[in-house]
Amino acid sequence: MRQKQLLLSALGLLAFVLVWELVPKLSLVSQSLLPAPSDLPAAFLREFRSGIWFEMVLLSLDHYLIGFAWGAGLGVIFGVLTGMYLNIEWALAWVVRLLRPIPNLAWAPFAIIWFGVDQAAAVFIISIGVFWIVFFAAQGAIRGVDRELIELADAFGFRSGPERLVKVLLPAATPGILVGLRTALGQAWMAVVAAELSGVSGLGSRMMQASSLLATDIVVVYMLTMAVLYGFMDAGFVFAQSRLMRWKP
Amino acid sequence: MEAVTPPDPAISIKGLSLSFEQDGRRTDVLRALDLDIARGEFVALVGSSGVGKSTLLRVLMTLAQPTAGDVTIKPDPAAHTALALVFQDARLLPWRRVLANVAFGLEKKTSATRAERRVRALAALKLVGLEELADRWPYQLSGGQRQRVSLARALAVDPSILLMDEPFSALDVATRENLQDELIRIRRETGKTILFVTHDIDEAVYLADRVVALGGKPGEVRAVRVIDAAHPRKRGAFQLAEIAQAIKADMTAEAAAARDDWVI
Repeated sequence: MRQKQLLLSALGLLAFVLVWELVPKLSLVSQSLLPAPSDLPAAFLREFRSGIWFEMVLLSLDHYLIGFAWGAGLGVIFGVLTGMYLNIEWALAWVVRLLRPIPNLAWAPFAIIWFGVDQAAAVFIISIGVFWIVFFAAQGAIRGVDRELIELADAFGFRSGPERLVKVLLPAATPGILVGLRTALGQAWMAVVAAELSGVSGLGSRMMQASSLLATDIVVVYMLTMAVLYGFMDAGFVFAQSRLMRWKP
Repeated sequence: MEAVTPPDPAISIKGLSLSFEQDGRRTDVLRALDLDIARGEFVALVGSSGVGKSTLLRVLMTLAQPTAGDVTIKPDPAAHTALALVFQDARLLPWRRVLANVAFGLEKKTSATRAERRVRALAALKLVGLEELADRWPYQLSGGQRQRVSLARALAVDPSILLMDEPFSALDVATRENLQDELIRIRRETGKTILFVTHDIDEAVYLADRVVALGGKPGEVRAVRVIDAAHPRKRGAFQLAEIAQAIKADMTAEAAAARDDWVI
């Protein structure tokens, strides 16, 4: 079963790469429109040797991690507060409805005006996307906590908001909050590209430079770079999640 | 109906009524209920579902507010806590291991160190015979084991009075009888005052010193019977069966009388 699963997923990936290789090589489309996989190692080595690759990865990781931390932290705080206290939820309901539909990218002009073409502008744009996902996940998870567990906390004297939060609400909501954080983990990489379109240096801005020069092989190198970075992060997250969720059968 | 007024009641309930409003309609759950429970006494509260038995426990725990009446609780000064409640479902916290579940209530007292809490939780776990399962997760336990952990969690806070809300009703017969005997032993060893809610009259008669039958809507006391048979009692003993029959007769006679009121 497990072997069959590994075999099939390897075959699927191989078939994908093969088709990708054949389409430009058989001149079905021009190589400048779609670079073949076999051309990528050379493009990667060029970028790597010049030191640009490493620099861009570090810059983007910096934006990504700080933006994610801000968005996730504030998302959890506001999600938990609105989930616990109906008054806060009511007070913020229309503020949320007003701000929520604004695309990340629409904040770019303000980000530049407020923070300049600087790391802080990218962090700001990334954190907004993360914030909404985590906010709604945390709010829903807190709201969904079994009332009987809250009654249990009451019965043993944990009746104040902070006591309920620490003893029952937060642990019970953790699985739901983690789902939100994992969704945001992927969403934030998309936001990195969007944020760096505004000119802040990183993977995204380098991709834009390359694409304007039709250096599509470089564009693909950075697409794959992002996929690999995301893959490692998601795998690490799943590992941490399974450690944290050992109490689940 | 015998009127029994213990000299030094641990719980004294006078004229307790409770009603709640929903969609503009008032529902009376309890009406003018009087009940005294002596220190160290084991009282079983029986009655069909919806008669307000669980509501009474919630009032005692201050999880529900009475509409009228007085509740006085005089805890044993030697006990750490006045009251602890064992729920019908074990209601363990799934993210805590067994020992941490037992220690849950102890975390309220911030004066105790982690090590002290651990010692007391282990002692409570030992009292219910589960000390070797201390490191398990709740999902790894059987129904009976969960209910034992739940009992240990209540015992760990060293309550003066133990309130139990149909704690064995969801268990299979063998497990239930086993836990009933364990409860009798624990009561003997700890001397706790126990108020035990059940809809099973045979269970009530087997366990308690006194059985209080609630009936009607809103619920009121229909019958009080003292069971003076010594422990260990024999299951299905003639004497116990007779008392159980008498309580059932009390309840149905009262029910019939209540129905007759409506005959025009």
